[in-house]
Amino acid sequence: MSNCGKNWRGVLSLLLLGPFLLAVLVPFLWMVLGMFKTNTEFFQPMAKAFFPANYDWQNVVELLDGRWVPFWAVFANSLFVSLGQALGAVALSAAAGYAFARFAFYGKRLLFVLTVALILVPRQLFAVPLFSWVNELGLSDSLLGVMLPGVVTGLGVVYFTQVFRQVPREYFQVARVCGAAELRVFLTVLPLVWPALLSYGMIHFILAWHEHLIPMLVLTSETKQTLPLALAKLYDISQRTPQGVQMAASTFAVIPTAVLFALCHRKFKSSLSDMLVH
Amino acid sequence: MPAANQRTSRARWTPFLLLLPFILFLMLFWLIPLVGGVKMSLQANGLGQAEYVGLSHYMALANDERYITALRNSFTYTLASIVVIVPLALWLAHLLRATFRRLRPMLTFALLLPALTPPSVLAVLFLMVFHGKNGLLNQLFVMPLGLERIDWLKDPDFILIGLVLQTAWRWTGFMTFFILAGMEGIPRVFYEAARLATASRWRQFWHVTVPQLRPVLLFVAVYLVVDGFSLFSGAFMLLGGSGGTADAGLLTITYVFQKSRFFEYGTASAISVSLLPLMLLLVWGCLFLRRRTA
Repeated sequence: MSNCGKNWRGVLSLLLLGPFLLAVLVPFLWMVLGMFKTNTEFFQPMAKAFFPANYDWQNVVELLDGRWVPFWAVFANSLFVSLGQALGAVALSAAAGYAFARFAFYGKRLLFVLTVALILVPRQLFAVPLFSWVNELGLSDSLLGVMLPGVVTGLGVVYFTQVFRQVPREYFQVARVCGAAELRVFLTVLPLVWPALLSYGMIHFILAWHEHLIPMLVLTSETKQTLPLALAKLYDISQRTPQGVQMAASTFAVIPTAVLFALCHRKFKSSLSDMLVH
Repeated sequence: MPAANQRTSRARWTPFLLLLPFILFLMLFWLIPLVGGVKMSLQANGLGQAEYVGLSHYMALANDERYITALRNSFTYTLASIVVIVPLALWLAHLLRATFRRLRPMLTFALLLPALTPPSVLAVLFLMVFHGKNGLLNQLFVMPLGLERIDWLKDPDFILIGLVLQTAWRWTGFMTFFILAGMEGIPRVFYEAARLATASRWRQFWHVTVPQLRPVLLFVAVYLVVDGFSLFSGAFMLLGGSGGTADAGLLTITYVFQKSRFFEYGTASAISVSLLPLMLLLVWGCLFLRRRTA
């Protein structure tokens, strides 16, 4: 194809993508601008007052000062729970995935069926019995009670099974000839698949960051809340939180996952592409 | 010789050693709650009740019109979101591949932003779009066409459409990303071969791209089914946990929470358990498709 034809195709596709990009970005822009608005400005029709009259940081300061919710504590809780979940999930799933990919063992088929069932029957569906069980374990109103159940994931195990199937056989043979024990082989293979480890960690972090239901049941005291819970409280009409503060909190809730994704997205995509070609 | 023997026996234990943490957590935080749910569904409603009532919750559900409505809505909602999202994501991925290479990562990221946003924030952003009178949909599309304003979240004819639109808004970009990654993994040779056979672009798409993308499309469909049936999703946030006017937006998961809110744990668990056969059918389907693709 000529260069000119290629350019033309590029421009046309960009034009066709335009409406979709607008549909996604306009609400987010509105959210970010919303944190500078007063309540009266906020409720005016969008076309009239899309941009705030002046950029006043008052709402942001109020939020960070913890006037409405203990924001820093909540943010730290979310970070702690999500990071812990992501690390745990990567460790557990990588080990299990390696076992599935490399060994034949008794009960393998049954365990794999259970793993797929774990994807399709997520723990949220059985939140109430899970909650009462977490209580019995003595983890009620504790961040660990949210983190530990979130560590087990079917998606992760299936993903890593696929990842380790791709490591060339020769690599394992060399490791074995060098006399490495099986567990050592596993540990030496890990650095080879680090993009996959990072990618799955990121996805799991995002899912954990969004988790609403189980924290809502388990966490009761105010200082132990995670972000989605604090947001729900800010949005609650009876709390009379200024709209600007709500928008500031919403923006801060998006930033960590957006930054994380922006940083890892290239690695993640290439690791997916490699995997999907089988 | 004894050394060698020891070695194999140790190797036999290695997979279980590696699987031990996973199995432990699987039992603790999935299997036990699951069994607990089944047990709860056979017990009387109320907090701390342990009276065995047999299958009476299930019998009651079979005659419960709201349960039937919820089930029907969930099916429609999930199916509609797959039908909307999958072709749209395929098309968007195709467009992204056709645009300038340098812009591609930025554009993909922009489309994916909703998937990175907590559902409660999305619900707030979405209220602006669906808001009764001044919402964007009405202002930009419905009214300029000379139609009457639609009260998206109150009019029973439109609630489900609204919910499908919000899932599409949330997940399309995310799925586009996966499909794009899949497309980039397809070896060029396949297209060259197709071109040698003078296959049109359209035929290349159907005979090379789509079959190669089968694992990705399977993943996308499974993800949307799980999200539609059993996650505390955007739909819940958008309607504040209600079923909307005339229960037009009542999903099974919403119904579970309405029941547990009033401590009707037995009924709530029975609803969850009643979804299991459907999910098991899907497990079987997935494994079957996996074997065929492998």
